[in-house]
Amino acid sequence: MGQSATIVDPTETVAERSQFVMGSRFGEAVVRVLLTTCGVFVVLTTVTMIGFLAHAGLRGMAMAGIGDLLTGRVWKPEADSYGGFALIVGTFTSASGALLLGAVPAVLAAVWLTEFAPPSIKVAERRVLEVASAIPSVVYGWLALVYLVPIVFSVAHWLRGADAAVTGEGLASASILLGVMVAPTVMLLSLDALSRVPRALRDASAALGASPWQTAFQVSVPYAWRGLLIAVFFGFARAAGETMAVQMVIGGARRLPKDFLFSPTTTISAQIVMDMQEARPGTLQNDVLFSMALVLLLVSVVVVLATRLLGRQRLS
Amino acid sequence: MTAARHSTGPGVLQRGRRAGSALELVLLSLLGVASILFAVGYVICLLYLLIKGAGKIASFTTYASPLAGVDNESAMRFVVAVCAFGVIAWAVLASCRAVASRYHWWTSSVDRVGVIVAVVVALGGGVIARDHLPRFLISLPSETTAGGGIGPEIFNTVYFAVLSTMITLPIGVGAAVYLARFARSPTFVAVVRIALDTLASLPSIVYGLFGFLVFVVEMKMGYSLFAGAVVLALLNLPLVVGIAEESIVAVPQELDEASLALGATPIQTTARVTLPYAWPGILSALVLSIGRVFAESAPLIMTAGTTISRASAYSLNPFRGGETLAVHLWYVNSAGLSPDRVEVSAGTAAVLVVLVGLTNLLAARLARLGGAEGTRVRKATR
Repeated sequence: MGQSATIVDPTETVAERSQFVMGSRFGEAVVRVLLTTCGVFVVLTTVTMIGFLAHAGLRGMAMAGIGDLLTGRVWKPEADSYGGFALIVGTFTSASGALLLGAVPAVLAAVWLTEFAPPSIKVAERRVLEVASAIPSVVYGWLALVYLVPIVFSVAHWLRGADAAVTGEGLASASILLGVMVAPTVMLLSLDALSRVPRALRDASAALGASPWQTAFQVSVPYAWRGLLIAVFFGFARAAGETMAVQMVIGGARRLPKDFLFSPTTTISAQIVMDMQEARPGTLQNDVLFSMALVLLLVSVVVVLATRLLGRQRLS
Repeated sequence: MTAARHSTGPGVLQRGRRAGSALELVLLSLLGVASILFAVGYVICLLYLLIKGAGKIASFTTYASPLAGVDNESAMRFVVAVCAFGVIAWAVLASCRAVASRYHWWTSSVDRVGVIVAVVVALGGGVIARDHLPRFLISLPSETTAGGGIGPEIFNTVYFAVLSTMITLPIGVGAAVYLARFARSPTFVAVVRIALDTLASLPSIVYGLFGFLVFVVEMKMGYSLFAGAVVLALLNLPLVVGIAEESIVAVPQELDEASLALGATPIQTTARVTLPYAWPGILSALVLSIGRVFAESAPLIMTAGTTISRASAYSLNPFRGGETLAVHLWYVNSAGLSPDRVEVSAGTAAVLVVLVGLTNLLAARLARLGGAEGTRVRKATR
């Protein structure tokens, strides 16, 4: 390559550039408007989504009656009977079970990892959890369907007697599955929260003669409690909103479970997916599904807003 | 209870704390064992899944697979084969490069030859292996009989990623640039942020309902990839805007000021200084969002349907319906009647996990490139 080819006349470049600047006042304005449009688009989409949902959902609530929808025991679209109690119970129980079986152990494990584990184990386990949290929920659902449900089935018969009317599908399987599913995310968030605890606090605690256990649970955890709570809330929201994986192991019976842990029932989101395929648009059956989605949405919005509030307070 | 040991420095202070009561020690070791088992459980699950899936994929390799007579099928096979051989060639090339550069054998001309050889190997391998690929990966799914494959599902999954990124990229980056650099009214910024928070908190099924209502019912489009892609793009918007905005905000103020002082307009500064600097972060956000596209199923079931039409299995028309790998995994188990659905699911799950794992690796790599160590910045400051 010749030297002369690479030399750039500086004045020319500047001239070109300034020409570009001068000539693009209009273009500049257009780009600004486009960027603003992107911001407006985000807001409009959100408003439209909630508007659509609320419109259909409130219509369904008005026609079916809020009281019936929330407390009625029978969900039978064929007979125009929409009692969403079983759905709501299913969602809340399975999500709470997930907290108990997945989120709480995850937080404890995160405490152990930050406070006591050797650094190499901490790094390795973090990697594993990052991978585990990225695995699609359907994969977890399928694994649970093939391997967990038979185990739960035999446990159920062992607990309730060999000829009891219990199955492997139900709230027990769903809770375990959701627990396994949300644990990696909760644990990663908890690790982040705990890593923000200043080292000086731990040193001070140790210098005062506290044992590692006391330091961990009386200094670090209280300091990071907001972050840990956010992690757990996040896990709850994810568990309550999960659809396909739960649908695979919950059994799909549209009633309250006969045996609380070991018989088929349903959740809000699973029922929406199942019924949506046969509900004709504009009918009551369709609108009622939107009402249930509205309930789900309210739950998750409340949970997320609570976490945001917690997060903001911490920053200020 | 022992007395506190003598300690001489902060590090020693940490290590030299008194150990605590026997009960505490027992609880601690139990917690440790549980915590390690926790991770080991996930590893075992994953490995089992991959091995089982690989068995399923490999069990179909022994014979040549006839074409199903679907449009674009041979092109699809060629692409799959080129990708497979390309990855192998790239891996070999990268390891050669790593070994040889340690002994300073690796010059730029050798590198050029190596790249050419790799491309030739990929293309040649594609031509030769086109008809001898693992049959599971390229054949059409089957609902009632054994031996169904996941060819169209792989195609749809990748196609969805392309379609939804085409929507997410401009809007997401535009909104992020707006929030980080051009927004004037604090009230409107607050409104946008609340909107993003709300979007992020919606369960994915709500997106599915919205897409179903708008595209399938109101616009009477029926199940279509387009509807699914729009819904996925909306689903990913909060994630992409969040990370992109963070990486734009992380661009040092001095760079922007220098550019402005040289007479560049704010838009030029953004396009030529800020965005190139923040690009690795934005790219990693996009890759993460692609990972979510691969993994999502509920909204797609309601907007893109659960079927593969034989006539348009590999069609590029975005207004046809079609299922992805994740949807297929659900559908095979909940509605499929094929006798080999456990094996088919294992293969599908393994392919899905590998795809998601690769995107996440890529995202992590890109994120590490970000900020002060960004390649572009290094190039610019050299």
